[in-house]
Order: sequence, then structure tokens, then C-alpha cells
Amino acid sequence: MTLVHNWHLGRTMEYPYFESRPEHQFAAVFNINRCIACQTCTMAHKSTWTYSKGQEYMWWNNVETKPYGGYPQHWDHKILQLLWDNGNNPMEWYTSAKDKDETKAPYGLYNGDTIFELARTKGLNQVAVGYIPDDKEWRFPNIYEDTAASEKTNYETGAANESSELPEHKRWFFYLQRICNHCTYPACLAACPRKAIYKRKEDGIVLIDQKRCRGYRKCVEQCPYKKPMYRGETRMSEKCIACYPRIEGKDPITKGRRMEARCMAACVGKIRLNGLLTGDYRKPDPKNPMDWLIHIHKVALPLYPQFGTEPNIYYIPPRWAPRSYLRQMFGPGVDEALDKYASPSRTLMAVLQLFRTTQTMLSRFEIEDGKKIFESEVMGKKVEVYNDTVIGFASDGTEIVRVQVEEPTWESDEKRMITY
Amino acid sequence: MMKCLLRKSVFFGSTLVALVFLCSGVTFSQGLDKEISMEENIPTNEGLTVKYIATDLNGADRALGQADPYKLELQIQDLAFPNGGGSVQEVEVRGFHNGETIFFGIKWNDASKNDRAIAHAQFRDAVGLMFPLETVKEISPEKPFSPRMGDRGKPVNIWHWKADWEKELNVNGGKEHMEDEYPNMFTDFDFNPDPIRFHKETYESTPLMAGGISAESLLSQANRGRSVEDLNAVGFGTLTSQEHQDVNGKGSWSNGKWDVVIYRPLETSDENDVKFVPGMSTFFNMAVWNGNEGDRNGQKSVSIRWRPLKIETVK
Repeated sequence: MTLVHNWHLGRTMEYPYFESRPEHQFAAVFNINRCIACQTCTMAHKSTWTYSKGQEYMWWNNVETKPYGGYPQHWDHKILQLLWDNGNNPMEWYTSAKDKDETKAPYGLYNGDTIFELARTKGLNQVAVGYIPDDKEWRFPNIYEDTAASEKTNYETGAANESSELPEHKRWFFYLQRICNHCTYPACLAACPRKAIYKRKEDGIVLIDQKRCRGYRKCVEQCPYKKPMYRGETRMSEKCIACYPRIEGKDPITKGRRMEARCMAACVGKIRLNGLLTGDYRKPDPKNPMDWLIHIHKVALPLYPQFGTEPNIYYIPPRWAPRSYLRQMFGPGVDEALDKYASPSRTLMAVLQLFRTTQTMLSRFEIEDGKKIFESEVMGKKVEVYNDTVIGFASDGTEIVRVQVEEPTWESDEKRMITY
Repeated sequence: MMKCLLRKSVFFGSTLVALVFLCSGVTFSQGLDKEISMEENIPTNEGLTVKYIATDLNGADRALGQADPYKLELQIQDLAFPNGGGSVQEVEVRGFHNGETIFFGIKWNDASKNDRAIAHAQFRDAVGLMFPLETVKEISPEKPFSPRMGDRGKPVNIWHWKADWEKELNVNGGKEHMEDEYPNMFTDFDFNPDPIRFHKETYESTPLMAGGISAESLLSQANRGRSVEDLNAVGFGTLTSQEHQDVNGKGSWSNGKWDVVIYRPLETSDENDVKFVPGMSTFFNMAVWNGNEGDRNGQKSVSIRWRPLKIETVK
């Protein structure tokens, strides 16, 4: 084991390999607040990659209803339980100012065991603590769809009204969109005794080499997000490949420029923005929309950072769910992120417009100032909306998209309103 | 001047630290393996003698009955991470050759027959024989040869019999499919219901989707024609299937016991295969996997210490 820095945890942690960050890191921001669970992303994935025999049950992308839903069933409850029952200081975070650091520990310091540390301190026969879900647990990818947490659960976890007040709705649920997190410290990669799993230096995508895999299912067992899956037909495991031919710009539509993954580009609710993070997390580029949302503005948060894998899919948490539940899921950065999202800054408002405007990956954005169009108060905070124009550029500097905060509207000619 | 000196000292200092670090071997190990013990490199006194008996495969069972049994005590694999196994305590092996082919008869107790690896938590029964690739006359603490699947510059040849491959020798189409494990499954992407053509078109038109099949992994292929995989390794995690497969086998399970015969020509044209010459002696090691216990990879019951292997001269 070596010591590596995990900025989600704000500390070094144990990992079987040395810290070796990619030049760029495949990443995405999912805005949970916008998701309608139409599953278009799920089907885009399915019809692209996993329609063959042995892959029937595989959903590299899935959208589940929290708190009860999960694919495989109870995946997160089970891992959390393992950490909670056996780990030291489970879920304990220090979040005072002195425990924080702008780049190295933006959310504070995690004092509990990660899945790697738990496996080590308990002397388990695993690199990362985990389990293989059985057939039953893979059966229903969308079990408990739209099932709300009971009022009782709500009382136990605390009311939601810390951020937004929904007095008529004492119940809550939200959709969680999940793909492989292409972690900086993948547990699947750490678990593979054959080094058949590798993380690409150029874009941080984690892949299983189908020539080296021997179907041991260690990755299935030890990935906490349960995204590597065993394909009985070929006797080896497969996982989300981040649509790497598209990321490489192999699709002719974007003329050689990097292209967003299928599940991202298909998003109807415009909740997803896919891009590459700067490899060095200490030097985020303020003009890169990914870096800005994640590192600089900190409005998008990692999923279960306490697992310790440094996952690279980031979420803007839902405003209406109880904070304690959200803190368990996204770490202590939730309150800051939600404050920023509820009363968005001018830049955030502009950057949010970039979501799903193009399939080309944007690596830079610029904002041109516009007029003030709206003013209001949210949770006691003044919100001003300006009709700024945001311009997105591809990595080669080409302007790809130009949108305004206020969507232009047209009124049809009166003649067209005639009904027959 | 001082600045320059400081820079120099920092440079040389860090180089020294790096050198010490490199030489300590820390970089090469993940710190998960047990240190090599003295015992590991002391072979047992007793071993297996491969008798000369002039018979072929048809007479193999009878000939193996005549050969002397050699029992290996197996133990939990606790040398390398992840540890495991230990559910099979003993394996019995006999051997003979007929001047052309060498046969090993292997028996061990296993209450459950696990000859499929299709469902998520379904693992196969298997047995492995390991030989130093080059003929080794002596193994001792002074002349070590790692029983941990070989070492750099000291490759091993591994013969790995698999219960599911054995079963697939006799199934229609030479491979078990998803529908054998899940008879009521439904799939809406089968272009051709003919079992031989089943799904073939998809695989051929989009090889990227075929995973291990298009990667030409033996594990994924149909009609392998054998139940034993011929492999090489130079240490844990390096196991690699050979391009030229030369080992065959047959096996059956009854009354809680596996009875497996593994055979190969004494010599092959493949330079990655161990060569057996009548009259020679070398060493071997064994491992057994119990699928019911979730055994796979390093989770296996192993013999650890090398066993002498003598091959009788042709009479």
C-alpha cells in the first residue's frame, strides 16, 4: 500500500498503487434538480453498448429513485453498512476552517475509514471492502421508481426545508443518475489481481482489457458503485467505457473534436454536462466549465466521497431532500453547494446554460455581460438574473455554442392561432 | 553561490533517497505479499515418479491404477493477496508415460460439482499443475525457484483443467450459453434463433460488443476442443494463456470426488512448454480450486513446496 492524496477527503489515504493522475480526467456534472427520470440516457447507453447476449441485465447507465431504489438493489446501503458496522469513525468529517484547504481539502477532512482502509485494518481478503451482488439484486434496474420516503423517514433524517420550503410535501424522493465514476483511485483496478484494468493516462477513462480479464469478478466485488458487471456469455467482466471512441473524437459528426458520451448527449432534461477536468486538481482552469463547477465554484459534488475512490461524476444535489441524507451521499459540501445553486451567481447562471447545448465537449467558456432581467429573493437572499451570453469553445479554440440566459421566444402570427 | 549549492544538495539528496527506495524493492511490491520464507524453497523429499507403461489414452485409467499414488497436502494460499482456499486438504496424483505422452491422474474430494461459471457468483472447480519451464535440477534456499507461479527470468508452465471446459466438450455447439443457466430468459436482439447461428450476426457485425469473444480469449470461445488450458507465468498476476495450446484432459465427478486425467506429448514444438525427457527429473506443484467456496485466482488450496518429479526411462 502507498499513500496517495484524495482531495475529496482532504487527506492522504492508502491505495495499492502510487498516485498517478491522468493528463485530463473524464468527468461530468449531473444536475439532479433537473432530472425527470425519462431514462433516455439509460436507453442511449443500452442501445449503444449492451444489447448482446450476456448483457441483458447490464445497465452501465441507470437512473434510480432515492432513497429506496438502487441497481443493483441496495448497493449503497450495503457498502454504507459495511463501513458503518466495521470501520473506524464512520462518516466522520471535520469541517472547521482549519480543516479545509481551497484545493487540497475543499470539503474538509474525512476522519473515517475508506473502503481500502477498512479492508486493510480488518485484514480482509480484499483490497477494498465489498461484495458480489447476486442475481436477485440485479433483477430490477428501476425498482421503487418514484417511491417517496415516508414522513417518518423525513422526521428521522430531518426536514428538507433548510434549503427550500415545500410545506405541502412532507415526503421526498429524487432521481440519482449513475454511470461508472472513472475514479481517480478505482477500487476495481485495485482489486484486479491480474492488472487487467487500467486507467488511461490521456483522459482518465478506466477500462477492462478483454484480453487479460479472466473473469475472477474481483472488480464486481470491490467496486463500491457496482459498475463492473460479469458477462456470463464471455466469462469475463465488462464495464462502462465512457464511450471512449467519442471522447477521442472518432465520431465524424464533431469533425475530430472530442464528443460527449452517449448518455450525456441524449439527456432530454438537460441535466448533464460532460467534459475533461484538468489533470492537476491543484491548478484548476477557471475557464474550463468542469473545473469551474467542481473545483472553483464547488456547486457539484462527488457521490459518496467517503468510499475513498475519488469518483469523477459530480452532482448538483437536489434542493428538496433532507440535508442529512444529502450529506451522507455527497459529503459535507452539500450546504455550500445548495446555497450557491438556490441563489445562483451570475457566472453559475451562465454556465448552467451550457448544459446540453452541443455534443462537442467544451473545454472553455466566456461570458458576455447582458442586461438585468429579473430580481427576486430566495431564502432571504437577493437573486438577480442578467441576460448574459455564454460562449462555449472546443479544445481547439473553435466557438461551438453561444446561448443567452434568457431563452429567446417568438410569438406566432395571429393568423396561425386560428383553430379549425 | 549558496543558492546553487542548496539546489545541488537537494538534487543529489533526493536522488539518493530515490535510489535507496528503488533498491529496497518497495516500488516493485504492493506490500500485500508475505515475505519469501526459507521453507518455500526447500522441496519435499518424497515426490512423484512417472512410470513407463506402454499404453495409450484408452488404457490410461488402468495404467494410472498401476502407478503409485502420491498424496500432496494442500493448504490455504496465504502467500499473496488475496489469500484464500484451504477447503481441499489433499490431492492424490499418479503419473505414467508411454514414451510419447505423459499422463497425470488426479483425484480429490469435493462434495459439490461446480462446472459452470455463468451467473454472477458462480465459480468453477479446477485443478492446476505447475512445472518450472526450464529443467531445474536443484531447488534450495541457495538456488531458489519461486513456487509463487515463478519469477522474473524463471517462468513456469501451468496446466489448468477446468470443470466447465470439460462439460463444454460434450455440449451442443461446444459452449454453454446464458440460456443454459437461465432457461426462461428472453432476449430481443437475437437475429437468428438457430442455436448455432444464435447471436452470431451481432458479434460479427459489431465485434466491439462481443467483448472476450472478439478479444479471442479462450475463456469466451466455443469449441475449444480441450478442457485444459496451457499457460505461462512469471509470478503472481502474470498468468498468460499460450497461443499454442497443447494440453488435453478428461475428468468426471462422482460420489463427491473429482477424477481428472491431464496429458500432453512429452515434448512439443512450443518453446513455452515444459519438456519432459524419460530419465529426467524436475519439480512440480499443484493447486485445487473449489468453486462452491468461491475459489478463483489466488483463492485456492495449494501445495506450496515443490515436489520432485521423476520420469522413468523407457523400458
